[in-house]
Amino acid sequence: MYCGECAGVCPRSLIEVRENSLKFDKKNCKECTICIQVCPVQALAKEE
Amino acid sequence: MLIETDVLVIGAGPAGSSTAKHAALNGADVIVIDKKSEIGAPKRCAEGVSKEGLKKLKIEPSTRWVTRELSGVRLIAPNGTGVWLNEEKVKLPEAGYILERKVFDKHMAMDAARAGAKIMVKTLAKGIRREGDYLFATLETMGEEFEVKAKIVVGADGPESRMGRFLGLKTTLKPKNMESCAQFEMVNVKMEDPDSIEFYFGSVAPGGYAWIFPKGDDIANVGLGILTTETDKSAYDHLLEFVKNNPSTQNAQPVELNIGGDPVGGMLKELVTDNFMLVGDAASQVNPLTGGGIIAAMEAGVYAGEVAAAAVKDGDYSAKKLSKYQERCEENIGVKFKRDLKVKDYLQSLSDEELNSIADAFQDIELDTINTAELIKQLIKVSPKALLKLGKLF
Ligand SMILES: Cc1cc2nc3c(=O)[nH]c(=O)nc-3n(C[C@H](O)[C@H](O)[C@H](O)COP(=O)(O)OP(=O)(O)OC[C@H]3O[C@@H](n4cnc5c(N)ncnc54)[C@H](O)[C@@H]3O)c2cc1C
Ligand code: SF4
Repeated sequence: MYCGECAGVCPRSLIEVRENSLKFDKKNCKECTICIQVCPVQALAKEE
Repeated sequence: MLIETDVLVIGAGPAGSSTAKHAALNGADVIVIDKKSEIGAPKRCAEGVSKEGLKKLKIEPSTRWVTRELSGVRLIAPNGTGVWLNEEKVKLPEAGYILERKVFDKHMAMDAARAGAKIMVKTLAKGIRREGDYLFATLETMGEEFEVKAKIVVGADGPESRMGRFLGLKTTLKPKNMESCAQFEMVNVKMEDPDSIEFYFGSVAPGGYAWIFPKGDDIANVGLGILTTETDKSAYDHLLEFVKNNPSTQNAQPVELNIGGDPVGGMLKELVTDNFMLVGDAASQVNPLTGGGIIAAMEAGVYAGEVAAAAVKDGDYSAKKLSKYQERCEENIGVKFKRDLKVKDYLQSLSDEELNSIADAFQDIELDTINTAELIKQLIKVSPKALLKLGKLF
C-alpha cells in the first residue's frame, strides 16, 4: 500500500517508495528485517 | 533537461505546501513536487486539528475541507471508564476540527500556487547531489528523468523521507520512534457523542492508543497506532480486534483502509545542512504524545519558507544562514515536544490496571480549564507514579 513506513526505518536507506510500487535495493540489504517488523499490514517477508 | 529554481520543495503535504507558499510570498522562485498523481490521496491521517493551531497559522476554516466541528474529547480506560472533557474546557491538540485531508492538502497546495509556486505532480525525487554552491535533484515524471538545480532544497517528504540522508543528515528512525498505524474510515458507527473524539488507552494499542474521530453523524476514522517493539501483532491485526470489540463499531463497515508511519520520537536534532532543510514528518515534527503533525508541519513550513526566501535574497545558503530555521523550530515546536515525549513515556509505562484507577479517580475531579499541562497536573494529583516521573516538569 506504499505508506512508506518501511523506508523511514531502513538503516541503509534501500527502499524507494514510489506512487504505486516499492523499489528495493536487494543487493545491499543486510537482512536486519526492521522493515518487516514495522509494516502495518505485514506486506513484507524475508525470502527463504 | 535541466530546470533552475531558487527553492525546490520535495513533497506537497501540509509541510511542503506551507513552505512553498511562504517562500514564494517572500519573493523566492519556488517549485514544489509530489510523487502522487493526486495531492493528499491516499490519506495517512485521522484528520484532527486544533482550532487554535489553524488560527495561529491564519488559516480560515472552510466548509470545503472541514467535515466536523468537535465539541469534546473522551478519554477511555481499558475497562471502558470514560473521562469526558468538553470544548469550553479543552485546549487539547488535535481536538477542534476533523478535516477531509484529500481536499485540505489540495487547498494548501493551491494556496502555494496562488502565492507563485510552481507545482509538479506525479514527480518523484530519486536523489540529490551537491555541485559547487548548488544542489542538483534527480527527478522522474512519467518515466522521464531530469534534473533541477536549486539554491535550496527542502525535504518535506514525509515519514518515508530519504532526501536528508543523501546529504548526510541522520534521519533514519528506530522502530521505537515510529508508530505503526492502521485505520478504517467507517460508516454505521454509533458513538456516544458524534461531536466528540475518543481516545482509547492501554493494551488495546501497545505503545500507542486507539481513536474514533467522527467525520459525520455515523461516519468516523477508526484507527490505532502501535509500537512494533511492544507487540508481536501488526497494527492491522490490532485494528481488527479493536473494531470487533468496540461497542461503537459493531455494525460499522469500512469504506477505506489507511496505513502509515507516525514519527513520534521527538523532533530530529539536525534539521539543516548547507543548501538544505527538513520540514514536517521528515523532521519528526510530530507531537510525540498525540501523534498529531499537521499543525507543526505547517508552522515549521512558515519558518522554512521565510528563512529560505531570506537566504535567497542574501545569496547565502550556508547551514549557518539556514540555522535560523532550526532555532525557530526548537523554540516554538521542539521545547514543547520534549516535554510531551516525557509524558508519553510515562503513559506507556502504565499497566491497564493503573490506567483504570486513574480514570476512576478522574470521575471525581471538577476540571475548569484543560490543556495538556493542566491534565498532567491533575494526573500527578491522582497518581503517585506520575508525580515521580513528571513532577519536575510542572
Ligand atoms: C494513521 C495516522 C493518523 C494521523 N492522525 C493525525 C491527526 O489526526 N492529526 C494530525 O495533526 N496528524 C495526524 N497524523 C500525522 C500527520 O498525518 C502528519 O504529521 C502530516 O501529514 C505531516 O505532513 P507532511 O507534509 O510532513 O508529510 P505528508 O503529509 O506525509 O506529505 C509528504 C508528501 O511528500 C511526498 N513525497 C514523499 N517522498 C517523495 C519523493 N521522493 N518525491 C516526491 N514526493 C515525495 C508524499 O507523496 C507526500 O505527499 C497521523 C498520521 C498517521 C499515520
Ligand atoms: S511494505 Fe508495508 S511499510 Fe512498506 S510501504 Fe508497503 S505497506 Fe507500507
